[in-house]
Amino acid sequence: MLASMSDTCRAEDVVKMLREEDLFEVPANITAASDLFDLGMDSMAVMQLIVIIEERWGVALGAADASRDSLGTPEKLAATIQARR
Amino acid sequence: MKVDVLVIGGGSAGLAAAVSAARAGAHTMVVERHGMLGGMGTASLVHTFCGLYLLDGDRPEIANPGLCEEIADRMTSSTGLGPNKMGRVWVLPQHPVEFASLADQLVRESGVEVLFHSELVTLEPGWRAEIVCRGEKHTIEASSVIDASGDAVAASALRGVADPTPAVRLQRPAYVCGVQGIEGDLNSLAISGRLVEGTRSGDLSKAALGMHFRGSGRPGEVFGTLDLSAEETGDYDPSEPACLSALEVTGRQVAQQIVRFLAKNQPGWEKAYVAHWPMRAGVRESRSWRGRYRLTGDEILDGATHADDVALATWPLELRESNRGPKLRYLREARSAGIPAGSLQAADFDRLFVAGRCISCDHEAQASIRVMGTCFATGEAAGRMAAEA
Repeated sequence: MLASMSDTCRAEDVVKMLREEDLFEVPANITAASDLFDLGMDSMAVMQLIVIIEERWGVALGAADASRDSLGTPEKLAATIQARR
Repeated sequence: MKVDVLVIGGGSAGLAAAVSAARAGAHTMVVERHGMLGGMGTASLVHTFCGLYLLDGDRPEIANPGLCEEIADRMTSSTGLGPNKMGRVWVLPQHPVEFASLADQLVRESGVEVLFHSELVTLEPGWRAEIVCRGEKHTIEASSVIDASGDAVAASALRGVADPTPAVRLQRPAYVCGVQGIEGDLNSLAISGRLVEGTRSGDLSKAALGMHFRGSGRPGEVFGTLDLSAEETGDYDPSEPACLSALEVTGRQVAQQIVRFLAKNQPGWEKAYVAHWPMRAGVRESRSWRGRYRLTGDEILDGATHADDVALATWPLELRESNRGPKLRYLREARSAGIPAGSLQAADFDRLFVAGRCISCDHEAQASIRVMGTCFATGEAAGRMAAEA
């Protein structure tokens, strides 16, 4: 897991993480722009997600980042992670 | 005391069972351990009716006409809140205070006799039930019995006709509390982020990550729902008093810690306080009856129907085998699946019916049929069957 900390975080890395973590059912046709909340991500899944992001990318997101704008799609989430590294 | 139909447990299933049996003309009595009807929806503060409506669709469509619709309509006129869509499912917000009053009204209108503060202790075929109220035993004779206890309590009294789910797979319990004094809109996502900050700083225990909040529909009031691992005293066993006791204490401790933390750290929560503890933690699963038919999760996913269907299940398999949030498995194509009469009838006894979350089904099917909307439907069906038996 720590190995990925040196890599760039892209939308496809976020999708791969979502598939591995199984926080909600990730459909086969998910894209970088898919709305994660429409796919079933709720406020509890967001907590798990923030913990996982810290483990995988070493980025500590908090209340200010917990919004649709910052983590509503794989691409927005990747940008948020990237900006904080 | 002698009745036609005796209902064990007055939760959502028992309430519907008693009302439907009484309306079908049976002299009906319901025995309930608390001082109010409604079970999970009152004593455990579960504030959403799930399973009332068909899956998907542009508008809410009631799956089981009859009591489900009647209860939904009465709840909406009490709260002023209609159904809303969460992802693919329609749900109806409900308020435990309104539910308790609404249940009183339903049983009064239909002529059901209610015995509160009473628990079943023994049951003999025939049927002869012994209940206990504050140490005093009372005997009730009944032509038919409906076990709507949620934990297959009548099966326990008869020994060996219920199957416990192995501890490791049991759905984890929820601890729900009422919080008041909140100003402005509830920003659930920001609160999620705040709780993670609290666990990072050491102000909150890891168990805080099982908490989420939802508005109650009343000004300044929200409900906090905490999913617990329930492993404080070893394996989770909801029939073990020591385990249940640890659950209650942990629930209060973690919830209190969270609300105090948010009062210090979350804008709008400065004046927030815990206003209600539940009477008991919300157990989702314990034992299920061994019935004439055993409904499976695959049948629900396939939208299976049976010749003797008496109710429809619509809720996805909502698996909560950990306290990391639900895993939802939706019906693959159909919008509902049939629940047959056989899964509401005890395998080895006549005139013994079962309703609610302990009907005869496997662990996966139970993850769908346990919700209150479906419990109303199996209750109503069992009440009708018992009155006609």
